[in-house]
Amino acid sequence: MSVNQITITPVFPWWLIILLLCLGLASALAQYRVIQDKVGKTRAFIISFLRFGAISLLVAFALNPSLVTKKEHKISPAIAILVDTSQSMAQSTSRDNVTRLDEAKALLTEGVSPLLRSLSEKYEVSIYGLADSLRPLETGDLARLEAGGNKGDLSEAVKVLSGNRSMAVVLSDGNLRWTESHGQQLPIITVPVGSPEAYRDILIKGIKAPALAFRDREGVIDATIRSYGYTDLTLPVLLKDSGKLLTAKNIRVQTTPGEVSTSLSFVPSEVGQKNLTISVPQQVGEDIVTNNQINLSIKVVRDKTRILMASGNPSMNYRFMRTALKSDPSIDLLSFVILRTPSDILNVRPHEQSLIPFPVETLFSKELTNFDLVIFDNFNYSFYLRPDYLESLRDFVKNGGGFAMIGGPNLFNEGRNGLSPIGDILPFRFAEKESYRRDSPIAVRLSHAGAKHPMMRLSDDFQEGDADHLRFWLAMPPLDGINLMEAKRSASVLVESADGIPWPILTVSEYGKGRILALATDYAWKWYMGMVAAGKGNQPYLRLVHRMVRWLTKDPSLDPVQITLPEIAASTGQEIDVRIQFHGEDPSKRSGSAVSFSVFNPEGVKTDSKLKPTPQPGEYLVSFLAEQAGVYRIKVETPISQVEESMVVAAPLENLDAAPDHDQLKKISASTGGKYLSQGDALLKEMEGYAQKVEKQFIEETRLPMWATPFVMAIILGLLSSEWYFRRRWGLI
Amino acid sequence: MSLILIGGWILSRPNLSFGSLFPHFFFTQLKYSGGEWDPNPLFVQAIVEELEIRTSIDARKERRVIALSDPDLFFCPFLYMAGRYEFEPLTDHERDILRRFLTYGGFLFAEDTVGAKGFGFDRAFRREMEQVLPNYELKRLPPDHSVYQSFYLIGSLGGRQKVNPYLEGITVDDWTPVIYSQNDLSGAWSRDRYGKWVHECVPGGELQRKAAFKTGINIIVYSLTSDYKKDVIHHPFIKRRQNL
Repeated sequence: MSVNQITITPVFPWWLIILLLCLGLASALAQYRVIQDKVGKTRAFIISFLRFGAISLLVAFALNPSLVTKKEHKISPAIAILVDTSQSMAQSTSRDNVTRLDEAKALLTEGVSPLLRSLSEKYEVSIYGLADSLRPLETGDLARLEAGGNKGDLSEAVKVLSGNRSMAVVLSDGNLRWTESHGQQLPIITVPVGSPEAYRDILIKGIKAPALAFRDREGVIDATIRSYGYTDLTLPVLLKDSGKLLTAKNIRVQTTPGEVSTSLSFVPSEVGQKNLTISVPQQVGEDIVTNNQINLSIKVVRDKTRILMASGNPSMNYRFMRTALKSDPSIDLLSFVILRTPSDILNVRPHEQSLIPFPVETLFSKELTNFDLVIFDNFNYSFYLRPDYLESLRDFVKNGGGFAMIGGPNLFNEGRNGLSPIGDILPFRFAEKESYRRDSPIAVRLSHAGAKHPMMRLSDDFQEGDADHLRFWLAMPPLDGINLMEAKRSASVLVESADGIPWPILTVSEYGKGRILALATDYAWKWYMGMVAAGKGNQPYLRLVHRMVRWLTKDPSLDPVQITLPEIAASTGQEIDVRIQFHGEDPSKRSGSAVSFSVFNPEGVKTDSKLKPTPQPGEYLVSFLAEQAGVYRIKVETPISQVEESMVVAAPLENLDAAPDHDQLKKISASTGGKYLSQGDALLKEMEGYAQKVEKQFIEETRLPMWATPFVMAIILGLLSSEWYFRRRWGLI
Repeated sequence: MSLILIGGWILSRPNLSFGSLFPHFFFTQLKYSGGEWDPNPLFVQAIVEELEIRTSIDARKERRVIALSDPDLFFCPFLYMAGRYEFEPLTDHERDILRRFLTYGGFLFAEDTVGAKGFGFDRAFRREMEQVLPNYELKRLPPDHSVYQSFYLIGSLGGRQKVNPYLEGITVDDWTPVIYSQNDLSGAWSRDRYGKWVHECVPGGELQRKAAFKTGINIIVYSLTSDYKKDVIHHPFIKRRQNL
């Protein structure tokens, strides 16, 4: 269709054009009056009219008249066909192993008149696969297309497509992410695949579990179980720790689809990373069985650090140590002080004294494992503890307990510690027959190993090799009594005497999974009051004691190596980055020092991993590909420590709710002004009908300036020529 | 000659104040200006003997005399102060030192050996405590305070005289850094070089003296163990014995 019309676009103001026209008319009238007497009225009129006509046409050029031609065109709509390729599309639609994706492919490419071919003949059609991302496809790619990946984000896909597409056709089971947007312009036609009625599954839809649980305190995990295709069914929900059943609860599934929530409680008895599993047994006819189980990792920490302290007598050392331990609310202290020895004479009847028996048997044969740390303070253990109790203590350390031995005259006075069952675990031997010396004050200094040890950092300002750190320890008050000992080769001396022979004062070592500390003096309390006397307060001593406890109980915050796991849950096939941070000196930069990073898969086999430094000093990223579902262990070993963390990698279909959600498709099409088509409909006809509605039109407009045409110029010339001719003929020229 | 050299070496050490040895337990008596700072000079021998016989405490029969300005004060965590008469006010500097000492772990056992309430030493001591620890009150210690249970279960207090049936103290959180008596415990402990008691105990006689030793031992054990007897494990034992 075309429309022609003349438009004017004046190049001068209207008043000027009218003025010019009036002047032209006036000149024509003037001419008429001048020549009418010579040639008569009729001839004068003809000549004046021709003159006026030529002037009028010339003035009319100022109106800039144009001839506009409009032509209407129609455009065939561009259609985007989106095929859902997320993992739920791999589910069978029926018992003959035809997947939902196969069904979608068949809809597009099979039949007498394949939908894709028919649409392509009339419209501009492009095909996309939608899962983790929107992926353009060629027609030939359809046959090879496989399902995999997470739910596709249709809202994002539509945003990308809406610029140059008129409509979108989505073939999906409805497991799509969709956020309704008011600015949504692209109409979506949804075509469902899969059958909600035929789908049967029981899955653990979600869990709510704490990231941290406290040892010996009840932890609760909430689990939501969803079912499709089952009614009136009683199911046990099981909570297991590395295959060992912790607890189970029955739930009742009554309707389909149905959802039931339950709480599972457990009391962890050990500190560390717990790899738990929540599962429901597989039912007959389930479409997916891997989603009947979910793995989770919970870190179990101490709510309190429980310390057993045995002191050989009331002393300043006991009181100040007790003050320091009690000042930390996370410490639960049980202490026993030997107030009188068998050789002391009690001059009153038992009910007049407050002494209680030292429950050695209970503590060292039954209750020992309930503690995290045992402290002997100037305690003659060989007198009070039978060898089998000492063996229990040795085993306690071997299995991860902490043990601190604080010196004094009551300790080691028999010089037999090497023969006792705890001789193996102690970090020292006696150097001389004289086991305790109290003659002249002994100054102390920080050793080379002590300067690097995290336990000794009594201020955040101190760094390794810091002269202030060394001076700080040299300024400590001298000790009035020390045990004379020799550190074992496996031990590290952190503080030593500064005068004469460097006697070890503070020595640490490891035995089995546990840690041991020996403080060879009963005068460490002078470090407390010495700092107070120097106006530095009691914080250095309190911090030393707290850090001793944290190191002995393997508190991760004191570990020089920290492993930070990714915050987002990992699943198979993903490249996982784990952050490793070294606090203090980076041991990987120490010459001759080996730092090893290892990643072990759920079968315990070491897997390939890459280590790369980050811009942060002392920080690295360990990357590995999680090929299997289960618990991966990340281990960092340095000459001074070994840290291990574990993380759960979810199975591909774990937690997958693959039930067809056709209601979601209806909602999507309704909210975009599109249409929900069922497979029974004549898809091509419906789509063509809809395509006509969204067919776009445009008008082509052509503009021709009239004054530029020779025809107009000829008229003007004709008028002027005719006037000249008549003037000559009638004798005016 | 060698003794002289050793002495010279010790004296030349930069931290002279830290240079002396400190046994586990010893009395350090505070010397102050005015009044009478040492009313019972012979009290140490008997109480320390008793302490060694009855308890496992490693004690010395030694009394050190110290002024508040002495840097060694902080290494003498059991500070003993006694007197009969009103003494001169402490200087601001001395009060600061005593405040720091008591706030950060030191212990003061003070005695009014006359027992005149509101007069003499009692008045001066209360005045000083108000200045040194103004936010805390010197008040009667409750019967379940750890000092009555630290070694003996004390029902009645001893002393040379029986002015108060209780001890007083200043408690900061769970710790009582100041304990005050007006019963002249040290008077009851005092024994001359021939082994005779210097003072009679009135009105209770030797039973009252015995109780004075028990009270003294409890105060010393308390100074070394703090509120140890408040630990939960002790409760049933102490309760059972108190009900006998």
